[in-house]
Amino acid sequence: MSRKSKSLTPEYVFSSCTVLTALVTLYFIGFIFYFAYPTFASQGFINFITGSEWNYSENIYGIRIFLGGTVVLTLVTLMLAVPVGVFTGVFLSEFASPRVVSIMRPLIELLVGIPSVVYGVFGLFVLGPIFGSYVAPITVSILGFLPFFQDAGSERGVGLALASTVLAIMILPTIISISEDSIRSVKREYREASFALGATHWETISNVVLPASSKGILSAVVLGMMRAMGETMAVVMLFGSAKQIPTTFFSSGYAMTSKILNDIGLHIAEETSRSALFAVAAVLFATEILFVGLARVIGGKL
Amino acid sequence: MNMRHLKGKFFISLSYLCAIFVLLALVFILGNITIKALPSLNMHFIFTSESNEPGYGGAIGNAVVGTIIISLFSTLLATPVAVGTAIYLKRYANEGPLVRIFRFMIDVLSGTPSIVLGVFGLMLLVFVMREITGGFSLISGSIALAILILPVIERASEEAIDRVHRDLEDASYALGATKWDTIKHITIPSALSGILTGIVLGTGRAAEESAVVILTAGYTQFFPEYKVAASEKLLFGIKVYPFQDLVATLPLAVYHSFEFPHLVSVSEGFAAAFVLIFIVMIINAVTRLIVWRRRIG
Repeated sequence: MSRKSKSLTPEYVFSSCTVLTALVTLYFIGFIFYFAYPTFASQGFINFITGSEWNYSENIYGIRIFLGGTVVLTLVTLMLAVPVGVFTGVFLSEFASPRVVSIMRPLIELLVGIPSVVYGVFGLFVLGPIFGSYVAPITVSILGFLPFFQDAGSERGVGLALASTVLAIMILPTIISISEDSIRSVKREYREASFALGATHWETISNVVLPASSKGILSAVVLGMMRAMGETMAVVMLFGSAKQIPTTFFSSGYAMTSKILNDIGLHIAEETSRSALFAVAAVLFATEILFVGLARVIGGKL
Repeated sequence: MNMRHLKGKFFISLSYLCAIFVLLALVFILGNITIKALPSLNMHFIFTSESNEPGYGGAIGNAVVGTIIISLFSTLLATPVAVGTAIYLKRYANEGPLVRIFRFMIDVLSGTPSIVLGVFGLMLLVFVMREITGGFSLISGSIALAILILPVIERASEEAIDRVHRDLEDASYALGATKWDTIKHITIPSALSGILTGIVLGTGRAAEESAVVILTAGYTQFFPEYKVAASEKLLFGIKVYPFQDLVATLPLAVYHSFEFPHLVSVSEGFAAAFVLIFIVMIINAVTRLIVWRRRIG
């Protein structure tokens, strides 16, 4: 690599760009944790995570409800999105003709091009009424014997079911395209060996192709999870702001991202309450950094 | 037909169903947005400023102009740094722990939840540096968005540089060209369409982002102004429009139909959404055109 260059100036320019990028990132990370620290110090990290009370006037901050809301919402979103996404990826890579793929890919990319705030209003004004007056009552009447499907939510349909459905549609393109790519990259010989042993097409897919591409699919899931966890606008509009962790499919909850967006404007000038909200952001950020690390360990492409 | 084939048939139909479901969802979403938007979509709504109408809603011209300005300006800020970083990491830096750490940081930046970047911008750019940035302003919003799209452009540039044929560069070196000559005349031109694709993608990301923009750019019902005026609150006592002034954006115009349901009708919200998707789609189409041209040339 190290060829002798006559002029060093370009190298300095490019390396300072890199240093600038790194400094901005480090400063950004440091900034969030610096402003969050007073809250961790005063509340104690464990209390902050597990406490269920959030009170600005008494300076008690616990994020159990918001953390629980985000976790439940993310998990349900993944349960909806991963099967549909992976099967669509299987369809595109195994069954679809090149012509169908060339039509479907740009269409799926269109889903990426829809801004999250638009997903929010779409969920609220289009899907919400449908959920409130049809999906919820019908599901409850059929599956109501299961605790998870008891008690229908509001008429507007706002709650876990609506938020996770819309989030699932939002993260589908990510999961579809990454799993399609990783299924395609499975070596031809593997498939041929499986067919030679007399396996059917599906047996080949489920016993050979999917296990061989499991790393890629897993990193697709991690990426989708990160997107769902960090999503703000759609969640603010669709998940509600109830002071509870949702325990049933149609009840509403309160996610960490919504808490930050709803409150930060009012509390930016006040030191302790501001710090509390930065602490929520810090928890979110730390989780994200953890997942980025995890995705690197898995070895998938981000 | 035995169980094995039946099972196969079942899962194969399942994957067909999933693909059909995804397509139907897309048609349903875009169809509904269009149908709900149509009553409000007209020239007056798209091109006049909201300030001409009483209260919120009624027109989105200010937001259309604002979205275009802020996404272009943030791209302008992010591009040199992002492309420079990519060139350094791909052509100057030696692979090692330091480069791996740089890559990890870029990954962290690209996965950052937008709300975290939003509170960072709100605190640093809008609150602490308000004398310089003017608080909620085009410049605050653009800097925050530039951080958001920097990793998008950087990664696309890295991939584009990866695709440059090594032989071309080696030929250049063999002719006695210096490293910088080679990068300037061979690497960058060969990777240009990929880099451009990344830049355009970044612009699209900036245009559709809302959480960051709410917390840094604010909102105004007026078209951006172009002037310099006296202002005691700012450094040097002058306020440079439009940079230190509030700027309206389309995602916020959409959000208003949720925030102020009595002022902004659902249809107006969807019309703003329609225009926003249209702009993002044009940006994506430009990307395709760049990729397509490269394939021909």
